[in-house]
Amino acid sequence: MDASVRAVLSDLEVKTPRGRLTYILITLVLLLLAVFVVVPFIYAFTSGLKTSREVFSATFQLFPAVANWDNYGQAWDYFNLPRLFLNTTFLVIGGLFVQLTVSMLAAYSLSKLKPIGGRFLLIGFLTTLMIPGIAYIIPLYVTAARLGLLGSYWGLWLSYGVNAFMIFIFKNFFDGLPPEIFDSARVDGASALQIFWSIVLPLSRPILIVLSILTFVNLWKDFLWPYLVLLGEPDLQPISVALFVVEQRSATPPNIQMAGYFMAMLPPLLIAIVLQRYMQRGLSLGAVKG
Amino acid sequence: MTLPLRKERTVAAEMPHYRSQIRWREQLVAYLFLLPAIAAFTVFAWWPILNSIVMSFQQVDLMDAGASTWIGFRNFERMFADPTFVASWRNSFEFAGLSILIGFFVPVFVSILVNEMRAAKSFFRIVYFLPSVIPPLIGILVWQLIYSPQPGGLLNQVVIGLGGTRAGWLQDVSLVKPSILVIMTWGGFGATMLIYLAALQDLPIELYEAAEIDGARPWDRIRFITLPYLRPTMLVLLIVQVLGIVQIFMEPLVLTEGGPGQATMTPVFTLYRKGFLNGDYGLAAAWSVLLMIVLGALSLVYLRVTRATQQ
Repeated sequence: MDASVRAVLSDLEVKTPRGRLTYILITLVLLLLAVFVVVPFIYAFTSGLKTSREVFSATFQLFPAVANWDNYGQAWDYFNLPRLFLNTTFLVIGGLFVQLTVSMLAAYSLSKLKPIGGRFLLIGFLTTLMIPGIAYIIPLYVTAARLGLLGSYWGLWLSYGVNAFMIFIFKNFFDGLPPEIFDSARVDGASALQIFWSIVLPLSRPILIVLSILTFVNLWKDFLWPYLVLLGEPDLQPISVALFVVEQRSATPPNIQMAGYFMAMLPPLLIAIVLQRYMQRGLSLGAVKG
Repeated sequence: MTLPLRKERTVAAEMPHYRSQIRWREQLVAYLFLLPAIAAFTVFAWWPILNSIVMSFQQVDLMDAGASTWIGFRNFERMFADPTFVASWRNSFEFAGLSILIGFFVPVFVSILVNEMRAAKSFFRIVYFLPSVIPPLIGILVWQLIYSPQPGGLLNQVVIGLGGTRAGWLQDVSLVKPSILVIMTWGGFGATMLIYLAALQDLPIELYEAAEIDGARPWDRIRFITLPYLRPTMLVLLIVQVLGIVQIFMEPLVLTEGGPGQATMTPVFTLYRKGFLNGDYGLAAAWSVLLMIVLGALSLVYLRVTRATQQ
């Protein structure tokens, strides 16, 4: 965070003519890379403003002659974006709620209630981290089909209860809480649930916020599992599933497509920019897992 | 659900001979808290993982487990006999190899450069991070138009503008893998770079100062201090990258359908086609079993390496 800390080059070296040149070169390289990174976003935005003739023009023109803001209105209606945003939000909030509740309760029990065989359970949970879900998506689908969970949000919400990484993070956090608080609460006759509700939950606020934001973005990005579960229910599909289905099914003019894609990217982008500090802290939680 | 705990419990906890007794009411409470997680993991993780092994020896009926019939190793025989099998796994290897050339070192060097900045560090951190927060599927749909072979395709416009010739970025067998890896690098390097940056924060600057006094030039400092310092992190992230490469799925699904030819057939994409497009769940389960073995083995390597790194 400290901007004035030296790295490979010392502060003195940076002030020499040679150092200054190096520094400018580094800045230029990084700026060029930044341009490469944002080009797809800008390209989507400006293509969304073009006429369909301009989109198919053979020569490069980033901006259209006249901005057709009308395209954005058309794309809004064509993809039914309000519906898709609503679906995604509903799905993600529900999944987030299930995942946090299930993981916190389990982690609290493993950390403070000393269940017999808790170590084996923890290992059982953590083992699922070693096999990415995509590897067993077929049997998962078969299980969901036989339980009648396809075609509804329940199949997704309940399955989002599985997150061993979150249990692990919460357990570590609870392990670090001072045991005296719990002892004195028990002396006062508080039940396990009361302790969870009035002590653990308030104390967990910082980590709860970080994990909620990280999980919100991650669930918003999910594609294959919602696609399989909601294949037969176009009205329930979240945004990336619905955009894929529309793209497969029909020939949409590219300018309308791009306007729609740009609007679809905006909510997560805004979250990332506004809440960047939390996002990056959440990421560093992931970095130390192992 | 709320079972009252009596006061003498805390007193008892300090007396060792009391602790050896099992308190069934406390255990009941502990397991009530664990119940939702046990149920969710059983239905949505442990059972499907076991069931994939069961299903791989069956001809599977989607809705009725009882109607599935045992067929021995036939699913595995069919999997190994399928030409797509060799193609899919060979593609995974090629993707992995290429990704080390194309994507792997990008976040390493970018993190070193960003760390060098005296200002605007957080600007670069957030900009590079942006592609990793949007749904990958939407990013891929935008890249589809960037790579488009039609007149409107952005990349061809730029290449032609610079005097080059039109290329089929996703249609040409020799270009399609690098093109997909560029999308993946775009989507992922910002998040990876943050991990390297965090590692660089811990590098003691005294090392640089000492090297400077000894007359080491900036490039030598990078070579002999920065890169060796990052090597353990690089090893861990290399395995993470290979784990991700083996799971390539959305790019073939959206952009190429496994083509041109079979150049972008991947294990997960093939498994998806066998299972969901052909309804051949037993065969797909055989693919799942193999995939779980490969990914599980890679995860074990990951665990060993992280543990070795932390010591």
